[in-house]
Amino acid sequence: MADPDLDFTSGDAGASVTYPQQCSALRKNGFVVLKGRPCKIVEMSTSKTGKHGHAKVHLVGIDMFTNKKYEDICPSTHNMDVPNIKRNDFQLVDINEGFLSLMMDNGDVREDLRVPEGDLGKEIESKHSAGEDIMVTVLSAMGEEAAVGIKAFTK
Amino acid sequence: MMAAAGAPEVISQLESAAKVLMAPPSMVSTEQRQHAEHIFLSFRKSKSPFAVCKHILETSKVDYVLFQAATAIMEAVVREWVLLEKNSIESLRTFLLTYVLQRPNLQKYVREQILLAVAVIVKRGSLDKSINCKSIFHEVSQLISSGNPTVQTLACSILTALLSEFSSSNKTSNIGLSMEFHGSCKRVFQEDDLRQIFVLTMEVLQEFSRRENLNAQMSSVFQRYLALANQVLSWNFLPPNLGRHYIAMFEATQNVMLKPPESWREALLDHRVMDLFFTVHRKIREDSDMAQDSLQCLAQLASMHGPIFPDESAQVTYLAHLVEGLLTMINGIEIEDSEAVGISNIISNLITTFPRSVLTAIPSELFSSFINCLTLLTCSFGRSAALEEVLDKDDMVYMEAYDKLLESWLTLVQEDEHFPRGCFVQPAVQVFNSYIQCHLAAPDGTRNLTANGVASHEEEEINELQEDDRELFSDQLASIGMLGRIAAEHCIPLLTSLLEDRVTRLHGQLQRHQQHLMAASDPDSVDRKVLDDLYEDIHWLILVSGYLLADDPQGETPLIPSEVMEYSIKHTTEVDINTTLQILGSPGEKATSIPGCNRTDSVIRLLSAVLRTSEVESRATRASLIELLSPQMGKDIVWFLRRWAKTYLLVDEKLYSQISMPLSTAFGVDTEGAQWIVGYLLEKVINNLSVWSSEPELANDTVELLVTLVEKRERANIVVQCENWWNLAKQFASRSPPLHLLSSPIQRTLMKALVLGGFANMDSDTKQQYWAEVLHPLQQRFLNLINQENFAQICQEEAVKQEIVATLEALCGIAEATQIDNVGSLFSFLMDFLSSCIGLMEVYQNAPETVNLIIEVFVEVAHKQICYLGETKSMKLYEVCLTLLQVYSKNNLGRKRLDVAAEEDQYQDLLLIMELLTNLLSKEFIDFSDTDEVFRGQEQSSGAGRSVSAADVVLFGVNIVLPLMSQDLLKFPSLCNQYYKLITFICEIFPEKIPQLPEELFKSLMFSLELGMTSMSSEISQLCLEALSPLAEQCAKTQEKDTPLFIATRHFLKLVFDMLVLQKHNTEMTVAAGEALYTLVCLHQAEYSELVETLLSSQRDAVIYQRLADAFNTLTATSTPPTMDRKQKVAFLKSLEEFVANVGGLLCVK
Repeated sequence: MADPDLDFTSGDAGASVTYPQQCSALRKNGFVVLKGRPCKIVEMSTSKTGKHGHAKVHLVGIDMFTNKKYEDICPSTHNMDVPNIKRNDFQLVDINEGFLSLMMDNGDVREDLRVPEGDLGKEIESKHSAGEDIMVTVLSAMGEEAAVGIKAFTK
Repeated sequence: MMAAAGAPEVISQLESAAKVLMAPPSMVSTEQRQHAEHIFLSFRKSKSPFAVCKHILETSKVDYVLFQAATAIMEAVVREWVLLEKNSIESLRTFLLTYVLQRPNLQKYVREQILLAVAVIVKRGSLDKSINCKSIFHEVSQLISSGNPTVQTLACSILTALLSEFSSSNKTSNIGLSMEFHGSCKRVFQEDDLRQIFVLTMEVLQEFSRRENLNAQMSSVFQRYLALANQVLSWNFLPPNLGRHYIAMFEATQNVMLKPPESWREALLDHRVMDLFFTVHRKIREDSDMAQDSLQCLAQLASMHGPIFPDESAQVTYLAHLVEGLLTMINGIEIEDSEAVGISNIISNLITTFPRSVLTAIPSELFSSFINCLTLLTCSFGRSAALEEVLDKDDMVYMEAYDKLLESWLTLVQEDEHFPRGCFVQPAVQVFNSYIQCHLAAPDGTRNLTANGVASHEEEEINELQEDDRELFSDQLASIGMLGRIAAEHCIPLLTSLLEDRVTRLHGQLQRHQQHLMAASDPDSVDRKVLDDLYEDIHWLILVSGYLLADDPQGETPLIPSEVMEYSIKHTTEVDINTTLQILGSPGEKATSIPGCNRTDSVIRLLSAVLRTSEVESRATRASLIELLSPQMGKDIVWFLRRWAKTYLLVDEKLYSQISMPLSTAFGVDTEGAQWIVGYLLEKVINNLSVWSSEPELANDTVELLVTLVEKRERANIVVQCENWWNLAKQFASRSPPLHLLSSPIQRTLMKALVLGGFANMDSDTKQQYWAEVLHPLQQRFLNLINQENFAQICQEEAVKQEIVATLEALCGIAEATQIDNVGSLFSFLMDFLSSCIGLMEVYQNAPETVNLIIEVFVEVAHKQICYLGETKSMKLYEVCLTLLQVYSKNNLGRKRLDVAAEEDQYQDLLLIMELLTNLLSKEFIDFSDTDEVFRGQEQSSGAGRSVSAADVVLFGVNIVLPLMSQDLLKFPSLCNQYYKLITFICEIFPEKIPQLPEELFKSLMFSLELGMTSMSSEISQLCLEALSPLAEQCAKTQEKDTPLFIATRHFLKLVFDMLVLQKHNTEMTVAAGEALYTLVCLHQAEYSELVETLLSSQRDAVIYQRLADAFNTLTATSTPPTMDRKQKVAFLKSLEEFVANVGGLLCVK
């Protein structure tokens, strides 16, 4: 039941990877596109130039995939792009040459996601080789995807 | 014992350590430095270091080593006091004093440290009367009469050290004694010795003031004694019979007023004392450091009160003399920058201290000269303060002085019925005019003009943390507003004409810009200077008008100020009410263009001027000139209207002894005027919310105005009759633009206002219709959405997510609207949602930001409603909270996230959960449900079927929180505080539940307590100690041994014992630890004896052993056998304090 008043036509045609929102309506812990990257807003403050000036919004965001920090400042009337963020849990079936085999809800298996680097990747591998059943949380935003977490298999 | 024989080795070791410490950082390594520090630390802790210290003082040439030796003596004397012979203490004191006297060239810091040791000895001695304090004064007065500046300086240092030690303020050394000890030392000291010091000081000042030419050395001695005099006059005289807790509070007060006991009468109530300080000030006023001291002495004298005055006439004579001296001083000089604050302190102190009856009893000519002088001074400081602002000075001395004087005016005029009628009107006019002048732009005013008339105009970056002028200058504005009321005849018309003029100019200016824009269409080409000047003028005029016309008391119904009411009544006969209403009702027209405009009620006319400003703003937004407008002015307008509406709208005649006809005709209950203005305000709110969504502060002020309009039933009744209100409600419910552009806090408050409005008086059909348009769409949309078959698949689609978030936000807003008379219906409405929200927790388990918001809804509902809920309803809330926590726990079990925000998200979840638990617990403290009748008739007596209690929910919640509370998370201070507050609450409220906890949970709870006690801040440590007593009492109650809780309390006994006996801690902690220790000792008497035995047997020194054994005996003797009895407990706590004072220090020694 998509709200008829919401406008999704901007951004990429078809799939709505981002949507516009007035800067002042963004919220801390929400998301925003900064320098073309999907970011989580970790700091948000306003300022103005002179006592009778108009508000500007200062945003600090962290790239959801790379952990890089980005900042931006813009008039609060401006529209910013907000990325559509999705997180899904998939059952881990196998690991092949550094790629995860994940079972989708419809039963298909996808094998296009790399085992993440660092501790998480190691944990996935060790749990897998120990024969534990786990779910892998996959984050997707603006056409990019990555495994970002695990959860004990419960279903 | 370290013998003098080993001294040379000790000295050389210390001297080389000192060399390391004094070396530049590049020359020594961190390890070397730490090692050197360690050497000094252990040296200071060594047992009976007196002989070796004396030796060091006599032989070493290294200042730092001398300093450390003095410190070691001071610390050891206090530590080993009970072990030392009285005459050896006496000779130690003599040695130190003689030592300093014989070495005039000692480094200052070494000398001060040695004198500090002397002062500490004198003070510690005053407790057991073993040291004769009097002899030291004799010695000092001899030093003073020597006439030798060096010796006199030394005498001054001794007195200063004594004063600091006995003041029991933060300057006092920490010698491990109770506040009570410090208090009784202080009382003895201030009766006699302090006065003696004052007399000595006065003699010196007298002597110096008579001398013609002071050389540099003399003048430095003079300065020291002046500072000493200031210290005496600023003494915080401790009243008799003040309890321990009050002493701590009392000593923390700043701005001490001089209140000496009667015994000081002869020394202080003498004109020559005051004259001397005036003379001294005249002599040294060009030296800014000394002038500060002499003015502060005078300010202290101006604050003198209490039993020192035998009767009121003595007070009158004293005050008259003071005022005369002050006027002579001020009139004869051009005030230096450095004198401004001091002079304003004198004035402010005398106005605050002396009763009105005394102020009016001084000769009337003197009084009016004083008021004249105060008026001129206030205006002049105000102008200088404005200059300081232009120059952006760091040190705003005139601003500070101006604030003080304005505050004094407020004190004066608030009780003006004591003074001759009208005596403050002219002064008020002058001060008011000068304030307005300083805040208006040229040519009417002098804003932003430097001293030579040059305008400065800077645009600085202002961040959101900077307070708005209305708060930043609220004190000044309150005073100016009050003075404006006193001189209402002048001030109200003045504000009106200035504001009307500025608004006309603003209107013209905006029109010119519009034409210009249509021609050039480049907004940047507009020169904003003229506009900004107008905005700034209007800004200040509205602020002053707001403060003049109304107060903003928290939680009370504000009344129309009596001066304003009287002013309006006085002119009623000259007023044409129809013209007045016409001016009010036509904000779009120029006021002066309306015929008969000079026959209007001035109070209404001033409101009309603000409405005209508002109208110009609204029209400009409609003409798409938003870019040119000032959001600040927008804020000022709605701020004013809100303040005004609270006081004047639907004025309740019952609250006033007399009422102005124009005011009651225009704004009274059931008047067209009131209806009109409500409609106007509503229109303003709606306009603002749609055009100013991008200005968070302005939007917030606007929505707060809306809340004000509906939070009182009488106002709400009119509001809901307006069509606009219904439009607003519908528009918001449909989530159509532009309201959905507002930030989430604004949307919440808007929802709150809409719900509040729903409780206005409407016939039942209308009411039903209202709720159908406001709340039901919310429910309907939500249900439609979540009941879709594929909801789980589409839930992460943006439109769906937004709908959910908007609903959750709205629920928070609805909860915020809870009042005692609507909680019944709101609770039922919200409960339906809460159950559905739990379903959402499942669906959105992968969207932490949504989970967070869901928990927040629960937090808000519990926060706002639990205190009103009866048993059945509380139970329902407990149950649903419990389910929420269960689902949260299940979903997070075995989940691990490693993305950027994982820790932050978890931190916020936990914080909210703990807030939720604390809110649920608060029912145990704050419960209005028994006294209200909200649920009467609905509530069944259902105590028997009670299924869930607050304790169950809270403990289950703790079960979730505990395993997640890593030590890393405890580093977030707010989280850590909330956590420990929660577990202390639990132990205090449900001690009986603790033994029933699952083993793991029990263990981690106990571990948390131990961790909090031993390695967190002292505040947390205190919380944990407070949790122990109820736990021990619980054990005592059940009388079961060998339960895990019993064993745990045994462990805590040892911890608390060690903490009290072996570690240094502050006195506040002693109380909390003492209470815990007592209950623990009652429970585990055998273990306690064992602990004492072990401690004693580890002492090899026979003397210390005996002292300790004695101390332990006295400690427990008063309460053998200890039982859980309040009287015994109090006795124990008292002896514990002495115990800690006597042996605490002994055992800290390594």
